[in-house]
Amino acid sequence: MRGPPARHPDEQREQLPAVEGTIADAAELKVGDRVVYPNQGVCAVVGVEEKDIAGQKLQLVRMQREEDGAAVLVPKNKVPSIGLRRVATGAQMEGVFHYLAAQFDDPELDWKVRHRDNADRLIAGGVLGVAEVVKGLHSLSRIRPLPTKEREQYDNARHLLVHEIAVSLGVPAVLAEDYVDFALMPPAGVKFDLKPPPKPVLLPSRPKKRRPAAGEGEDDLGLGDLGLDLDLAGALEGGAAVPGADVPGAEGEEAEGGEAHAEGEGAEPAREAPEAAPEAEGEDEEAPARPAKAKAGKAKPAEKAKAPPRAKAAAKPKAAAPKAAARKPAKAAAKPAAKRGGKKK
Amino acid sequence: MIRIVTLDRIDPSDVAALSGTLYRAFGVGTEYAGDKPAPPEAELKDGRLEALKLLREAPHVRSLPDDKVLYITSAPLALKAGPLGEPPCFGFADFGGERAVITTAKLPARGVSEASVEAWRKRLAREAIHALGHTWDLHHCYDAKCAMHPSWSQGLPERPDSELCVFCREKSERKIRLAKT
Repeated sequence: MRGPPARHPDEQREQLPAVEGTIADAAELKVGDRVVYPNQGVCAVVGVEEKDIAGQKLQLVRMQREEDGAAVLVPKNKVPSIGLRRVATGAQMEGVFHYLAAQFDDPELDWKVRHRDNADRLIAGGVLGVAEVVKGLHSLSRIRPLPTKEREQYDNARHLLVHEIAVSLGVPAVLAEDYVDFALMPPAGVKFDLKPPPKPVLLPSRPKKRRPAAGEGEDDLGLGDLGLDLDLAGALEGGAAVPGADVPGAEGEEAEGGEAHAEGEGAEPAREAPEAAPEAEGEDEEAPARPAKAKAGKAKPAEKAKAPPRAKAAAKPKAAAPKAAARKPAKAAAKPAAKRGGKKK
Repeated sequence: MIRIVTLDRIDPSDVAALSGTLYRAFGVGTEYAGDKPAPPEAELKDGRLEALKLLREAPHVRSLPDDKVLYITSAPLALKAGPLGEPPCFGFADFGGERAVITTAKLPARGVSEASVEAWRKRLAREAIHALGHTWDLHHCYDAKCAMHPSWSQGLPERPDSELCVFCREKSERKIRLAKT
């Protein structure tokens, strides 16, 4: 089984379907209800009270965290936006355990992406989101020890999951933790009859600040806006071909490298799950600072997938290289050796 | 203070060795509080003791706030089955509470040789640290060398260490420092 998919590319957070049991209106809350406050744990609703804060009269929902009795006050109008939800049902919990016990061999290796996604999952992902964090970090810990921050995040996620399971199944927390680890690390000889795990949590996309790699985004230099018709690829090849004339492999290597890069990116949507496919493109569009183009790219993701421009650009130099080399053979021969292939060596 | 209560007969030298290891693990004094009978309410038909009931009905031991009581039994313990079945039970504890129980039934045979007795004591200490760790709010740890790693895990070494990892030790130390007494 693959790990949780990448962020949902197109939809805004508001458009994503709410996690099951999310409380959309404070009027739904009654005294004595048990709710889950994201990142805080299971709380019991104590009542609604009015408080005078900075000259404003605010209606606050008072809750009490079950674990330690800490008081939690939430403005009534903020209830829908903080992700307050009901304690997971038995059916949801069963799905969580089947998810925990399923094979998982694909942890996210980029720590920045992983940490951010995990933080989002803990807040907006419901009980399954918390389970995804625990399972994701647990499988990562099998590869290498977790760094301190993530070790803490793992412990927090485990704490939240264990307590919600304990409340949902009506068992002590230690027993709930035994259930979790029985699923995560089954003893020798134990095999579970697993059902298909629930659909992974979808997370909203975020603007990504990514520095374009060398050679990437050649067609986004804005030269088209200047009205100049430059054969940029040809000019670059001409320059590169001079020193490379003696060493044909070098030019070929460069072109192949570029192609491989383009192929790698083009092939990504095919390897990834269907939901993840537009993500790579979203990333490509967001990196250059050209909103109009980005919009156009978002509007037609399928077209781009068919003909990735970078793949074409990368393929071009291969054919152009021999031409350029043929154009200036004498000059190339006249240049000193040190100037010729300094970098290529 | 950790108070050890035996629900079945256990060699006093084993209890003394356990006290020393617990002191080294948590930096808290340990005392043997005597031998008490297991509560009959916790007994199941198959001869096992129900861990949850055992903790509730266990004989009371005089203790101060923040003291922890560790019960040791030789009878196998049973847990309520979960969504995927009943996990193996080496011990049980109140999370953040004051009582914990461990069983020697699942440990390897004690033997008579010095090496096997030493290995048995080490394993007993590991289970005791694990159960008491839960009473200091410690969760299970993914590090197979840590005493908080699940006892049934396939990653557990054949002779596991009776020590906490750095993260778990620091967490327990913080908890112990916050104790009122």
